[in-house]
Amino acid sequence: MALRHAGANPARGNAMAYAILSLISAYCAVPFFWAFLASVDGNASLFLKWPEDWTAANYTKVFLVEDGATWFFNSVVVVGCVTLLVMVLGGLGGYALSRTQAWWKRPFLYLILLIRVVPPPALIVPLYKVLLLANGAMQSLMRAVLPADWYRPAMRIFGFVDGYLGIILILTAMQLPLALWILKTFFDTVSKDYDEAALLDGASLTQRIRLVMLPLALPGLAAAGLFAFISAWGDFLMPLIFISSPELQMLPLGLFRAFLRVNTVDYGFLTALAVLYMIPSVVAFGLARRFLVQTFGGGVKG
Amino acid sequence: MSGLTLDKVTKSFGGAQVIHGADLAIQPGEFVVFVGPSGCGKSTLLRMIAGLEQISSGTLTIGGKVMNDVNPAERGVGMVFQSYALYPHLTVAENMGFSLRVAGRPLAERMARVRDVAETLQLGALLDRRPAQLSGGQRQRVAIGRVLVRQPGVFLFDEPLSNLDAELRVSMRIEIARLHRQLGATIVYVTHDQTEAMTLADRIVVLRAGRIEQVGAPLELYRNPANTFVAGFIGSPKMNLIPAEVVGSAAGRSLLALPSLGGAQVELPQPAPEGAKVTLGIRPEHFSATGTAGFTLNIDVIEHLGAESFAYGSRSDGGTVILAAKGRDDLIPGQPAETRFDPAQALLFAEDGRRLVV
Ligand SMILES: Nc1ncnc2c1ncn2[C@@H]1O[C@H](COP(=O)(O)OP(=O)(O)O)[C@@H](O)[C@H]1O
Ligand SMILES: [Mg+2]
Repeated sequence: MALRHAGANPARGNAMAYAILSLISAYCAVPFFWAFLASVDGNASLFLKWPEDWTAANYTKVFLVEDGATWFFNSVVVVGCVTLLVMVLGGLGGYALSRTQAWWKRPFLYLILLIRVVPPPALIVPLYKVLLLANGAMQSLMRAVLPADWYRPAMRIFGFVDGYLGIILILTAMQLPLALWILKTFFDTVSKDYDEAALLDGASLTQRIRLVMLPLALPGLAAAGLFAFISAWGDFLMPLIFISSPELQMLPLGLFRAFLRVNTVDYGFLTALAVLYMIPSVVAFGLARRFLVQTFGGGVKG
Repeated sequence: MSGLTLDKVTKSFGGAQVIHGADLAIQPGEFVVFVGPSGCGKSTLLRMIAGLEQISSGTLTIGGKVMNDVNPAERGVGMVFQSYALYPHLTVAENMGFSLRVAGRPLAERMARVRDVAETLQLGALLDRRPAQLSGGQRQRVAIGRVLVRQPGVFLFDEPLSNLDAELRVSMRIEIARLHRQLGATIVYVTHDQTEAMTLADRIVVLRAGRIEQVGAPLELYRNPANTFVAGFIGSPKMNLIPAEVVGSAAGRSLLALPSLGGAQVELPQPAPEGAKVTLGIRPEHFSATGTAGFTLNIDVIEHLGAESFAYGSRSDGGTVILAAKGRDDLIPGQPAETRFDPAQALLFAEDGRRLVV
């Protein structure tokens, strides 16, 4: 708008605006474009160039030669569980926080925000201490109840350190505050009359959640889930600290270690991995987009 | 169809008491309207009947059974919300059939009930629409339909017409009255609009600040208000409440001086303690050229509404006097006029607002 008025001639002002916006978009898009081109280039290099030798070899290498499939699988399982947990806990908690009149409501909401405010690296040492303790307890429990040859696989799943459970809980805890805020704010816009109408209609608690609140909350859940997914998918620090087994390696670390590992950097392989790493975020955004407009464009209309 | 009773029902939110001991008996099939200014506790009282608010003390019975601690769904009441609260993700038919669905009734039975009710409310053509695709009046009807499907013993309405425009409000009012005649249902209806109360109610309950001021049939409240609050609230335009002093009293008659109207004196055919400060209540429609009492009034404005006209005059204490001016060409804005009323229809109130009984 400001640009439109900048020129004496509105058409020229418009053209200027488009030119500038195009330039900015191009500037932002170039890295993605380079990554994509390099990933299908049989002879990729550090510089942006049109591939002479189109190939899918970089992608097959990710899955067949390297452990890309494992990394991808681990990332999907962990981040998928985190997103689901965040949506369930954030939905229930956000609903409760929106409806309660308890005196601790405000203090609690600001307190959980602190989790987001503290830089994560500052949390590493205490977090590691706590999880190590929990892990010890889990180890004793597993030793006590499981046959010896089930112990290691069970700890992969239920271990707090170097296990799925630990990393899932940490990432969930880190994403939950924002989700609670988004959903609390969202439920504030959903009239209490819906709950009460359903109550008078004879719906049980689970029916009210499933048939009324869940459908009404979808936009908010999508927004909260999307932010949790994107943030957890991109998290590098927590997998670095808490995952050590190669079988549990997740994508960002796989990518990072591949970058460090070889003497000559294989740009084709790295960019193929990067492109694969980007796809789920883009897909998640695409799926959640139409709900986001509703959430940040003024709640549910009815 | 069931009756309900309130016995010394109170409600406190934290430390603040908002309902102070409500006593009321509603007969089966009766249309009762709670009316009062905003914040007087109408909704709270209704929500206690519905089970959406806990009753702090006292007893509520519906259909003869104590309901204080019974689940809202099991009280046999249905409620129409001011916001309608139609589930936006469900169609009209699904909204109306929701209570049967959660009760696990088979689809065929649900559809049959919904069609039945839709017939009564002329909603048949809208069953597949979503609430967002309906007009205000249609949403209102669906909200009523959703309650009808449940066949409750008592219908509760919380300001159901306040989201509609004036024209639709009148037509929905007529529709609700028709529905009440047709179903013979017990209805408790909340509104702050005395016209709605007067036109719909078998009996009106006037509330102020959490207390029931008076209960009675519309015309009974109009003719015999128990105090200045009810007198001022019921009737449109408002009853004139003019400060007065009793200067003489003898043989069932009293003489009043009106200091805010130039000290004019009027004689009423009812006794009053001499020397007392009282309030004289005269309805605008009880002024007429043939009245036997009267005073001089400075006329400010005359409003012509078509069927009726009202003149507004000012008192020296800043108050207003409203009088019916239909066919009175002697009333001219900006000029003093002789106004007369029938003293037999005037009401007297004591200084604390209570009616001075004849
Ligand atoms: N949940 C609540 N918590 C505290 N006070 C309330 C609550 N609901 C209503 N009140 C108070 O009770 C009084 C009556 O409210 P309400 O019944 O909604 O009035 P009305 O419907 O007549 O406008 C008001 O003063 C209001 O502030
Ligand atoms: Mg209200």
